Amino acid sequence: MDYVFQFGPVFAFWPELLRGTALTIALTLVATAIGLPIAAVLAALRSFSSTPVRAAVSAYVELIRNTPFLIQLYFVFFALPGLGLRLTANEAAITAMVVNLVAYAVDILRAGLQAVPRGQIEAARALGLRPLRIIRHVILGQALRIVYPALASQFILQLLGSSLVSAIAAEELTAVANNIMIQTFRNFEVFGVVTVIYLALSLGFRALLDGGYRLAFREPT
Amino acid sequence: MKLLRRTLLPMALAVLFATVPLAARAQTPDEIIKAGKVVIAIDTTVPPYGTLDTNMQPSGLDVELSQLIGKSLGVPVEFVTVTSPGRIPALLTKRVDMVVSIFSITAERALQVDFTNPYGGQATVLIAPKGKVIKGPKDLVGLKVGATRGAIEDIVLTQIVKDYPGINYLRFDDGPSCAQAMLSGQIEAMGGGDYGDIYLRKSAGGEEFEQKFVLRPNYFGIGIRKGNPALLHWLNTLLFTMKSDGTLNRLSMTYRKAPVIDLPSF
Repeated sequence: MDYVFQFGPVFAFWPELLRGTALTIALTLVATAIGLPIAAVLAALRSFSSTPVRAAVSAYVELIRNTPFLIQLYFVFFALPGLGLRLTANEAAITAMVVNLVAYAVDILRAGLQAVPRGQIEAARALGLRPLRIIRHVILGQALRIVYPALASQFILQLLGSSLVSAIAAEELTAVANNIMIQTFRNFEVFGVVTVIYLALSLGFRALLDGGYRLAFREPT
Repeated sequence: MKLLRRTLLPMALAVLFATVPLAARAQTPDEIIKAGKVVIAIDTTVPPYGTLDTNMQPSGLDVELSQLIGKSLGVPVEFVTVTSPGRIPALLTKRVDMVVSIFSITAERALQVDFTNPYGGQATVLIAPKGKVIKGPKDLVGLKVGATRGAIEDIVLTQIVKDYPGINYLRFDDGPSCAQAMLSGQIEAMGGGDYGDIYLRKSAGGEEFEQKFVLRPNYFGIGIRKGNPALLHWLNTLLFTMKSDGTLNRLSMTYRKAPVIDLPSF
């Protein structure tokens, strides 16, 4: 192969790469911070509330889980202004990411809630605990422990999925990569560098989340 | 590499030598008339300039201009289809007498071939709704401006954004997304071509779009081999008459649905 790799022109753009990486992390963290509490409430509603509410939550989950993220993104950015809601590129990106994350997290959390043996809930009821206390003291701890690995995976997927928001002009890591490519024509090198950054982000967050799991759910000795 | 040197290179040379002798083409208008035909290179993959019609015949702005050249010389036109990178080689290997194929005039190309004065062109422009007062780059400060990543307008606007801080600049991955952002009001101005369907639509505020200022003009000239002053002068004279009698504007209106851009000569 005659191709000569030149990383110099790519690294010359390091402030932009850094800004893009920071925005990728920020979008993912903010979307997760907003999305998880909403997902927890919806999961509880889907498991414990009346039939119409359950049906509504199910409909939302099915709608989002069975449509492409890119279309959801276009909808928020290009279609909502027609209804009078005008969001900036970053706001639209976070909104779409929250809407998407919530749908997946609801299903994950619901699985956790259902995995708690019904006998325990019945026993708590027999002891006279009210529903909110049952959720807090009996279900939540066990459910979280069961779903934690799945939620951690979803977080990493969210981080990688954020690369799509460059389509609506949010200047995260992938958008920055495309900008550098157009200015340097060093496509191999740019994608190489960006792949390494994404890999480092994923592995780094994976290690943090695994550490968090060990801290939070250590077996009592 | 070995395969390339042993088989492909000799093949390429054979093709080159096979075509050159049979195609020693005319050099002056008189010689073209004597030869009884004018051989013109066109590209049939670049509508509205060159394309194939429903009968698979060449059609488009460049094609009609070529036919008008043949008519003025009083000889039939023989079309040779070339690709964009094949235009200069077609001239240098004497396969054609001239190239009429959205051949943008650049100093680098002019080292190898001669260009006539421009007969048309296409400008990259700044587009915004009619109500917005935008006369130059400094009026963009404080506005949301969009472009398609990597297009000529992106290259020009990136420089403008550097020179005039305060422009909120958004790059989109493709043309339709950028146009959609313009239509939905997510951006207030955009870079784009001087024709296209954006001009047929209405902005979020119900206004029509118009060109505000030129980001970069592109001029198309007819390319001929160097060292043919008589042919060059005759073509320039023909283009001058076509410019002054409105023919060039009619061609532009017919194929581009837009008036011909200002055509300076050199």
